[in-house]
Amino acid sequence: MADLLANLSLGFGIALSPYTLLLAIIGCFIGTIVGALPGLGPANGVAIMIPITFSMGLDATGALILLTAIYYGAMYGGRISSILLNIPGDEPAMMTTLDGYPMAKAGRAGDALVISGFASFVGAFLATLGLAILAPALSRIAYEFGPAEYFALYLLAFCTLGGIASNNQAKAALASCLGIGIAMIGLDPNSGLPRMTGGNLHLYDGIDFLVAIVGLFAVSEVFFFIESKGKSGAAGIKLRGRVTVPWAEIWTTRWTMIRCSVVGFIAGVLPGAGASLGSFMTYMMEKSIAGEKGKFGTGVAKGIAAPEVGNNAAAGGALVPMLTLGVPGSGTTAVLLAVLVTLNITPGPTLFVERPDVVWSLIASLLIANFVLLAMNVPMVKVFVKVLEVPPAILMPGVTMVSFVGIYSLTGSYFDLLLVVLFGVLGYVLRKLDIPTVPVILGILLGSKMEKQLRDAMVLSDGDWTYLFSSTISSVLIVAAIVGFILPIFLRGRIRKPQRVSD
Amino acid sequence: MTRPSDRIFGLVVILAALAYIASALQVQASFLSDPVGPKAFPIAVGIVAILCAVTMIARPDAEPEWPALRSTLAIGIAIVVLVIYAYALKPLGFLIPTAVVAAILSYQISPSPKVSVLSGIGLSIGLFVLFRFVLGLSLFGFPRGWF
Amino acid sequence: MSKTLLRALSSAAVLAVTATSAFAVECIAPANPGGGWDFTCRQVGKIMYDIGQVADPVQVTNLAGAGGGLAFSTVVNERNSDPDLMVAASSATTTRLAQNAFGGATADQVRFVGAIGADPGVIVVAADSPYQSLGELVDAIKADPGSVAFAGGSAVGGFDHLKPLQVLKAAGFDDITKVRYIGVDGGADAITQTVGGFTQAMTGDMSEIVGFIPTGDIRVLAVMTDERVPGFEDIPTAKEQGFDVRAVNWRGMYVPKDISDARFQEWAGMLQAVADSAEWQQAMADNGLAPFTLVGDEFQAWVDGVVAETEALSREIGVIQ
Repeated sequence: MADLLANLSLGFGIALSPYTLLLAIIGCFIGTIVGALPGLGPANGVAIMIPITFSMGLDATGALILLTAIYYGAMYGGRISSILLNIPGDEPAMMTTLDGYPMAKAGRAGDALVISGFASFVGAFLATLGLAILAPALSRIAYEFGPAEYFALYLLAFCTLGGIASNNQAKAALASCLGIGIAMIGLDPNSGLPRMTGGNLHLYDGIDFLVAIVGLFAVSEVFFFIESKGKSGAAGIKLRGRVTVPWAEIWTTRWTMIRCSVVGFIAGVLPGAGASLGSFMTYMMEKSIAGEKGKFGTGVAKGIAAPEVGNNAAAGGALVPMLTLGVPGSGTTAVLLAVLVTLNITPGPTLFVERPDVVWSLIASLLIANFVLLAMNVPMVKVFVKVLEVPPAILMPGVTMVSFVGIYSLTGSYFDLLLVVLFGVLGYVLRKLDIPTVPVILGILLGSKMEKQLRDAMVLSDGDWTYLFSSTISSVLIVAAIVGFILPIFLRGRIRKPQRVSD
Repeated sequence: MTRPSDRIFGLVVILAALAYIASALQVQASFLSDPVGPKAFPIAVGIVAILCAVTMIARPDAEPEWPALRSTLAIGIAIVVLVIYAYALKPLGFLIPTAVVAAILSYQISPSPKVSVLSGIGLSIGLFVLFRFVLGLSLFGFPRGWF
Repeated sequence: MSKTLLRALSSAAVLAVTATSAFAVECIAPANPGGGWDFTCRQVGKIMYDIGQVADPVQVTNLAGAGGGLAFSTVVNERNSDPDLMVAASSATTTRLAQNAFGGATADQVRFVGAIGADPGVIVVAADSPYQSLGELVDAIKADPGSVAFAGGSAVGGFDHLKPLQVLKAAGFDDITKVRYIGVDGGADAITQTVGGFTQAMTGDMSEIVGFIPTGDIRVLAVMTDERVPGFEDIPTAKEQGFDVRAVNWRGMYVPKDISDARFQEWAGMLQAVADSAEWQQAMADNGLAPFTLVGDEFQAWVDGVVAETEALSREIGVIQ
């Protein structure tokens, strides 16, 4: 403990100055905007800022503070458009649409933003503490996860999908098949040969999940607005009263926040999992703990807190393998890793010993960024909710254009824009038919990873399927996946029947 | 046939899945030791999709409310406009296509010419400033050769 | 198909490159900021300006897509005679060209002008592995190809995969399709899998393992250079263990095909000057690169050889057919 305090004071000694505070504030602000804009995720946000940090001539500490502030800021910001517009600002925020948007539709957009902002703070704060205290010990976890274990983890995610949003399990399964099917497009990593591309070179890199998110959520939303002539959605809804902090409601989520911080952090520490899986697993976990009475999906505080705690805790957790092993756990940490390398800092097992100045100033700057974000976000909620007072006729074209330009400016490809429109049409049809769109994104994100890990496991075992059960971790995960898939089918049958009689 | 939407969609999925499986069968494999191979997973996904689609056909949900012909037409126009936008961005630069498309979408949501023209122009300039100067992305305002 | 495709691809790319003024030297990094190609462009560009080889700062343009294929087709189709353009390249560029991963483009459509540094290939096992030398590892594979699985940071057929195959070929083992390999997310992840005991050996670049050497978790069996690498004199080369293999991930440049021979020689001279500069020596040391300078026609000839060899090997394992 004394060590920790000494190290932290070393870190704050380097990282805390009026100049770095200013950098943190700028970074948090830019990060929040980048996170909130659909089509620009945290990874892009950090990548965009790299040339700027170089041209500003920042030293290692300054660059790290700016970029980590952007990283955490983007993780905070993703929720804003999820709640206000039903369009996730980035992929880990997609679970926040499930309860955040219904709450906003009920006129409580301010409450939803405050609860989620507070949840983001708790998740990120606990994860940063976890990083500071446990990182060297936790780095050994990565050595326990091979292809079989990762495959079991992804299997667990897909098997619990059934209960996600739709009442019809077949539709959720169909949606994840769609996503996995899309994920197969591109160069096959295990043979280096193209698959399902139809010979189109544009498809060799696969389909970016940002393209899918923007199409499925943002463009399809525009179609709904056109259909209803601007009468659907939360936009234009009268806000109920002034923005206050719903302390009582936040207090009811205290155990949710603690549980989800732990689960999200672990998901982040595992290099193959990441923030999206973190927010997904925490949401599904809390939903099953709360049960039918929990009313998840209708706009409840726990349903907003769980995924936001989860994805922010995972964002902090993802720094553990990145710093201690040099293994990036997500797209964003991959970019941060590249930055560290260009700053002549090589993350790896010796980093904590050889460069304590870097490590602890990084941790200090994460804590600074986190407090800046909390201080910025609660007052800023008043500004954010004003978005809903913008007439849909201006807001929705704006969102569309932002999404298109975000994608276009990153890839410079008209082909991706065509895909966005295509996904928009698909999203419109799926949503009309009450087929959930979240599993599609999850399938695109994790489908190819799941396939790759299974194939790698079979390469290592020479086709012996019992290899999947060769470790305790993978056996437990696979059993949990099977139970998670079958149990809802039984429970649903039991719960439904008496209800039908009383109908 | 009642409640046709789920059933029609189910049929479409089955056809698409069959096509997907057929093209998965054409995928080339390398000579390396790879017990699962590049075809198994896509084929399995196709099969599961077909099972789900069959379930949808057998037990369809209540019929959604499809838009009237006029709204469908409006959405169709929006799709065409967005596709044209995708092709126009490069040769025509950012500002002009964005203003036009934003104005059209705005008009479709709320048919007021004044609001839509103003929001088209405002959005196009505002977003250009945001992306080009605040975020520093490489965007070109006007067609090449104008300036 | 491919003609319209390439036209579409390259026209999409114009957006990214039109920002440059006509006279400044431009360096295209065919990837997003932060990667190896980006590093090459920025460092080389900066040093060229600092040591007075160019009058104006070098403009760096990022043009990511298709693993470098987008930049390649842009150069070939749109800027084939631009005398002020260089493009960052590495072993990945030639490997992909050899494997026809750039949609029909071939290595002779541009001119490879020079390499100015290299990340040496290495083969690593966990510290508790029974294999003490490269020879023992090779013998184990010869006896039972299934007994050793490699992990590497590139996809199947990529450069990390080809390294152990080259060693085995050199050892007279021809059944290389039986050799097990899984591609993971980068060299550090490959080490994790190897130290964790899921794979028996790791194949990668020197820079990827430097951080793990002091931990005592790994044992480096061989480095694939002609001489031992300065600073790592206790790591034996593959060559001195009897396997005549050189596999280095070089960092260098290509230029458009239709520039004059005089201009090509000028480029070669400029790169040689960069390679000789103290600044570049420092940058290499900081980033785990070993000296590897080869410019002009000599480099072009070496690249041609590498491409032919890669193509033959890739055909044998079936990643091109």
